[in-house]
Amino acid sequence: MKKILFSALLGACLLTSCQDMDIPPKNIVTSDDLLSTESGMDIYMARMYSTMPFEDFKYLAERGLNSYNGWLAGFGFDGTGDAVNRDGYCRAFTGENEAYWGNAFTLLRDANFLIENLPNYKGNYPEITYNDYLGEAYFVRAYVFYALAKRYGGIPLVTRVISYPASSDELEVPRSSEEETWNQICSDFDMAAQLMMPKSPKRGYANKYVALAVKSQAMLYAGSVAKYNETVSGRLTGLGQKTGVRVMGFDQATAAEASKRYFTEAYKAAREVMENGGYSLYMKKWAEGDRSAMRQNMIDMISDTDSPENIWIREYIYPTTTHSFDAYNAPYVFRSPLSSAVCPTADFVELFEGFERYPDGTLKVTTGNSNTEGTYIMYDNVGDFYKNAEPRLLSYLIAPGDQFKGQTMEIYAGVYTGTTPVKPLMRDYSYQAQGDNYQNLDIAQGDNRTLYMTPDPNNQTIVTLPDGSKMNAAGANGPFYNYNESAMTGLLGRKWLKDDPSFTAREGNSDQHYILVRYAEVLLNAAEAAVELSIAGAASPDGSDMLGVATDAINDIRRRAGATLLASKLTGSNESRNEVRKERRKETAFETGTKWDLRRWRVNDYDNRDGFWGEERDKDKFSSNSHYRFRGIYPFYSATDKKWFFDVKFECLAHKQFEYNPIDYYFGIPGNEVVKSKVIDQQPNR
Amino acid sequence: MKQFKIFGMTAALLMLSSCSMFEIDNYDAPEETIQGEVVDVATGNPVLTDQGSEGIRVRLTELSWGDNVEHNPDFFCMSDGTFRNTKIFKGHYNVRVDGPFIPLVRETTDGMLLADETINTDIKGTTKVRFEVQPFLNVKIVGDPTVSNGVVKAKVVVERGVSESEFRDKIEPMGNWSDSYLNVTDIQFFVSYSNSVGYRARDDRWSSSISYTGNSFNDLLGETITITSNGEIPSGRKVWVRAAARINFDTPVGSGTRRWNYSEPVEVMIP
Repeated sequence: MKKILFSALLGACLLTSCQDMDIPPKNIVTSDDLLSTESGMDIYMARMYSTMPFEDFKYLAERGLNSYNGWLAGFGFDGTGDAVNRDGYCRAFTGENEAYWGNAFTLLRDANFLIENLPNYKGNYPEITYNDYLGEAYFVRAYVFYALAKRYGGIPLVTRVISYPASSDELEVPRSSEEETWNQICSDFDMAAQLMMPKSPKRGYANKYVALAVKSQAMLYAGSVAKYNETVSGRLTGLGQKTGVRVMGFDQATAAEASKRYFTEAYKAAREVMENGGYSLYMKKWAEGDRSAMRQNMIDMISDTDSPENIWIREYIYPTTTHSFDAYNAPYVFRSPLSSAVCPTADFVELFEGFERYPDGTLKVTTGNSNTEGTYIMYDNVGDFYKNAEPRLLSYLIAPGDQFKGQTMEIYAGVYTGTTPVKPLMRDYSYQAQGDNYQNLDIAQGDNRTLYMTPDPNNQTIVTLPDGSKMNAAGANGPFYNYNESAMTGLLGRKWLKDDPSFTAREGNSDQHYILVRYAEVLLNAAEAAVELSIAGAASPDGSDMLGVATDAINDIRRRAGATLLASKLTGSNESRNEVRKERRKETAFETGTKWDLRRWRVNDYDNRDGFWGEERDKDKFSSNSHYRFRGIYPFYSATDKKWFFDVKFECLAHKQFEYNPIDYYFGIPGNEVVKSKVIDQQPNR
Repeated sequence: MKQFKIFGMTAALLMLSSCSMFEIDNYDAPEETIQGEVVDVATGNPVLTDQGSEGIRVRLTELSWGDNVEHNPDFFCMSDGTFRNTKIFKGHYNVRVDGPFIPLVRETTDGMLLADETINTDIKGTTKVRFEVQPFLNVKIVGDPTVSNGVVKAKVVVERGVSESEFRDKIEPMGNWSDSYLNVTDIQFFVSYSNSVGYRARDDRWSSSISYTGNSFNDLLGETITITSNGEIPSGRKVWVRAAARINFDTPVGSGTRRWNYSEPVEVMIP
């Protein structure tokens, strides 16, 4: 007991003796360490970039940013119609499970900290380097604000480091108006472009033209919202309940002016990238008139790290920084551990050239004037339906009979042994009949059936053909009627997949880069802004012939894609606008932008859904009020004449139905953030 | 050492007992009931709706929490225009309903309050509230629907529940007035195997709609409109049908949700 008392006393004495120990601990990295040297700054930048709200292989629209780390990630099945997918995460972009909010403010703090503290170390760097670092900080801030604004509209514009503890007045930043928010984004991007070097000082860093390219994208979003909010029932605007600030949408009086201003900014930024950026469309493999070269060129454009089209890419390195895209999205025969997540739709294919059409513009598969008339057109090979398709489309698809990873990809839905010519399998192909299945048809039942299909890949139905040979009732990659991890629409996605026979995908061993911004998009930004400005009657901001620039931009992209060039110069009309929009949907499909495009064009809700595909299409053909669906292109083998026929029908394996309402154009502010703050407003229309 | 142990254990015990761990909760369970109905002020008839986010939304906000309060999770009227929630905490609440009728809360675009017809009430035991509202439209199925070859044909009459001038008197001060607000945009004909038929419980195979552009419906107000179902309903079972119509005005303003006024559901045997 004495001993204990003694040691306690000793301890107490020791405590009192350390009052002068205020030297900085050696095991903590201080801002001095980070901001005073270039290697320190690399660490600072790496930290910021690692938490940037990138939507790439690590992002799934339904889940949101960050914590899922790319589990099940894929593109095109977020209700944009590019593709469908069997699973629950295939749904319209009405919100993200993990709302982007808290992490945004952490990253904003990092950016603001740099802006406030780097000036103390100005002497440590050459001026150009110092400016570049500072520019990066503004760029990151603009990028985060932009990511928030397109989700929520007006946001808390935190442009300073908030020290803690402090009074709640200093800690709490209310949402600004949507207009102020976009203005701040514009000026932050400008600041970044002004400060940053024209070429990235190091691989992976942004630069002046990255800032301008993203700015043109952001300003296009702002201009569209200001303009097209007016077309939505209820005009999508309102004042915050707590602050009385117009946190969502634009004042009717200023909306048109604001829209013009933002489109002008978008045009100017895109033009500067076009004129001085030194980027160009990827044409390394392209050859005039050679369709397969054009196709290969489009495929390589995605995978070539040194593409002159890449403005900003996110790189991955095996084995340290990897993703799992191939492990989830390759065809079923390469399943590991999953497969076939991206199944392109017939509606998407209809955007492209090279197919026969019915008078209403839909894909022609029978000799009649609609799906229900005539008999099926027969093809010698399963791939022949896509024989004349636009090379760009083929670069996106693994179509039936395509080569992938050195193998022929078998995709077909069934074998028909009945008489020919074959009458349409279904009585009704309308939206109302979307639930009907092939396997429930009378000809697919009983011992005398003439239509054979396969429920799942482990249970292939074997058909004995009239000539005595045997054949599986479905392709090795499906579609299977009871197993949706297959070519559910008769097609599979190819974009971003690694087409290397020696590569075996596993979770976390893919290392292809993701292109965050490429030059083709800048061309499309310029073209869209130009046409919008012309519609609004605005003058060209730089004296250039805006519609000439737009026409050339579209034609450059079409030429590269193997599509027909515009017949005449674009005009300031909605028809020309739709040409540009449709081109955008085609060129940037299976990237992450399309869901934002539909959102900013305000064409996802039922009232405006005629414009969903960029071009005008009758929404009632694929919608029932807020619900909408997409179709597949199902190949069947006719055993009697040894030929193939195709049936275009609403996807009937996973029965994917999407839903979108006007309220979804602005995500709700996370409820807990609203409850705990005296100043953060919920969206006024929720 | 033994003393030490005893002291430690006593201390631990004291610490445990200090967090009132033996009480399950210190707050009364949510067992109060609110019961309400939404009726047409002109006729006293219930305002029929559909149970879902396109129907009549009921929003409770507990006022005793102070000024920075989030409303309770929304719920929705049953299709007969009544609602009942039996799991409410005791308290003083603001009760607000939004649906296909003149908004109870009307504000200008600058946020100035023009009218507030919501109800503030203590919810305790079973509290009843009654909202007398002005529905945009009254929708009726007249006569018995007929069936031939699996197609249901019904006669529908749509009338205004609130006159054009009165609608304008109340809505125009809210700002951004447009004459198009008054246009009837579509008639829906919902068909379902369920008697809770409506927008949510419709069968896409058979439900149909007629759209009207501009003010083209004005001449049809009060007239009998024939509407038929889509496709072919298999014989041998009963279906329920319901008609609905809406105007070009969203509630609450800015939500973009244009809500339908409904008819009573009608049972139809498919022979």
